[in-house]
Amino acid sequence: MSSIRRFLVVVLLATITLINFLTALHGYRTSMAKAEQLFDAQLADIADVLALTAGGLESSPAVLATVMGDGPGIAFQVWHHGELLSSAGVAPENLAEPVAPLVVGYADVNFAGYRWRAFSRYVPDTERWLIVAERADVRFNLAESVILESILPIILGLPLAGLLIWIIVGRGLRPLKDLAGEMGNKRSDDLSPVADFEPPQELAVLINSINDLLRRLEASFEREKRFAADAAHELRTPISVLKVQLHNLLRDADEGMVALRPLKAAVERMEHSVEQVLMLYRTTPEQFAANFTDLDLAGVARQVIAALYPQLEAKQQQIELVADRSPMRGDAFALRTLLTNLIENASKYSGSGCEIRVTIKHKGNEVELTVEDNGPGIPADQRDKVFERFYRLGSDRQDPGIVGSGIGLAIVRHLVDIHGASISLGESSFPTGLAVTVRFPAASSANSGRSAA
Amino acid sequence: MLLTSVIFVLREVLEAALLLSLLLSLSKRLSIVSSWAFIAIVTGILGAAVYGFNIDIVSEWFEGVGQEVVNAALQMAIYVLLCIVAILAMRRHQDRPVSENVLAVVMAISVALAIVREGSEVMIYLSGFLQARDLLVPVLAGSAIGAGIGVSAGAVFYYSLLSLKRRAAVIVGGLLLSLVAAGMAAQVAQLLIQADWLPSQYPVWDSSWLVEENSVSGQLLYALIGYESTPTPLHLIVHLSSFVIIIFLAMAAGRSGTASLENAHA
Repeated sequence: MSSIRRFLVVVLLATITLINFLTALHGYRTSMAKAEQLFDAQLADIADVLALTAGGLESSPAVLATVMGDGPGIAFQVWHHGELLSSAGVAPENLAEPVAPLVVGYADVNFAGYRWRAFSRYVPDTERWLIVAERADVRFNLAESVILESILPIILGLPLAGLLIWIIVGRGLRPLKDLAGEMGNKRSDDLSPVADFEPPQELAVLINSINDLLRRLEASFEREKRFAADAAHELRTPISVLKVQLHNLLRDADEGMVALRPLKAAVERMEHSVEQVLMLYRTTPEQFAANFTDLDLAGVARQVIAALYPQLEAKQQQIELVADRSPMRGDAFALRTLLTNLIENASKYSGSGCEIRVTIKHKGNEVELTVEDNGPGIPADQRDKVFERFYRLGSDRQDPGIVGSGIGLAIVRHLVDIHGASISLGESSFPTGLAVTVRFPAASSANSGRSAA
Repeated sequence: MLLTSVIFVLREVLEAALLLSLLLSLSKRLSIVSSWAFIAIVTGILGAAVYGFNIDIVSEWFEGVGQEVVNAALQMAIYVLLCIVAILAMRRHQDRPVSENVLAVVMAISVALAIVREGSEVMIYLSGFLQARDLLVPVLAGSAIGAGIGVSAGAVFYYSLLSLKRRAAVIVGGLLLSLVAAGMAAQVAQLLIQADWLPSQYPVWDSSWLVEENSVSGQLLYALIGYESTPTPLHLIVHLSSFVIIIFLAMAAGRSGTASLENAHA
């Protein structure tokens, strides 16, 4: 994944480095050329001073040493009609001839194993040639060391520039990071606008669009909820009437009117769906939290199993409850619905003669409820989808014997969320089948007797 | 000494940096995880150190031209690897099954070898100045500038390639890869001429009046297209033929892909 920060830091630093270094190189070249000119001028100056004192040169090399300084890189010769009158800094083997051509001006020459920059000057009064020479490497190193003083800070400052750019870019991008954090922290059902954020100009448009989108999304969710709740509510009365009429019709009908039985099943299924939809949409988390009481989940489970027992017995299904005393806070009606839905699901999809086991364990800070069966189970890749509203596994859609709306697990998920619990689907401890595990936060760590039904 | 060091280090760093940028941008385009580059850089630097420290032994091989011959072998290996990269990248570009790992490994080896080759030169150059105290500062400063320009040019080059549109990127990237690869192959000829394994000849032309080889722009051209201001006929032949070969291989890979796609549609 590409990173804006990395891009900015690398490109900025590379650009600064390129420009700084190339200009430094340019500066180095021009400074070196300038230094050459300065050294040349200095060479001419020395020659001028020597010309003035030329009369006394032969007698006093000490004067000369004072004039030229005592650096190792300087040499001179004084010639008069082919005869060397005086010399310094020149090796004896180079004394036979002038070290530079006797032409007024500068020349680059080689002697004594080095390259020299020489300046020759003719003094008409005394008819003498003065040659002053300076070692090229000495002047080069001198000039370079001076120029380096101004180039080194550019190089050494670069890591600092890199660090500062890293920090500054990070700071500049912080609003983006904050916004990402704000969006990431939002709960999936929180559609409130991004408010706690002072956006910079560049992000204001984006935030406005996001808030607008969230508002529209919330409104459409609200509409969907109200529509479903209203529709379900409106359907309740006609269904009740239908049920009564059907009951009367069945009572009065001939034995031959068997077609009425599937009709009865269909009406029951419709009623079941409507009740579930109402359950799902009538409740908001706030309403629920207000109704929370201290209760024992094991007790709730016993009630639910007792209520469902005739239904299970009719299908020759066995149910077992293994429960610790499990105190927790919750809504008794909601938990009953939750357990009923889970057990009915197990019963519905496992077929007659199956076994269902409900386990409630008090584990540290949580109460763990597991409902498992030895039915066919759910393939791992479909387990997430079953929580979606109206999703039904392919097999159960085709089985006319199963009364279901595909909304049971969606309601379970809703009730689980309301209780701050978590839900997961897995393999049951029977050879086949599904295990649904719900983990609630426990009220206290008390743990006592076990009971079985 | 500063300017000499700048040019020397720039020459070596720029070549490796451009190759790395080119292959990195290619791997990004082809959705290959770029962690191979890190491994290649570390391995390359370690390899350069080992090669640089043992250069005395290597030099004595092949009657004293060991360094040239080994360098030529390294360059040749890089050229061959880049040919393989060109073929595989072309196949992958056409959505044909090419193992991402194979491509990453080939790219990693070519970059590591380039770093071994260029890095060892820098090491040998710098180690020569360790004793000369008064020259050390300008040499190090020059090396830092050279390396800085080289790496920065590589970074800018990388992001420029990434900013191209897909179609342009395929053409520009492919052309640059071929040019860089041909430059690598041309150096093989150069090195073998130095080793007297190939005859030395008179240069075909001298374009140093136009672009001086020992300048920043000359080094940039050298790294990009293997620019030589005084190329010999042999050098030119190797350069051009290796360029034609890699282009031909890539196009052949591309054409067979199109043909098989057409067959599949038919």
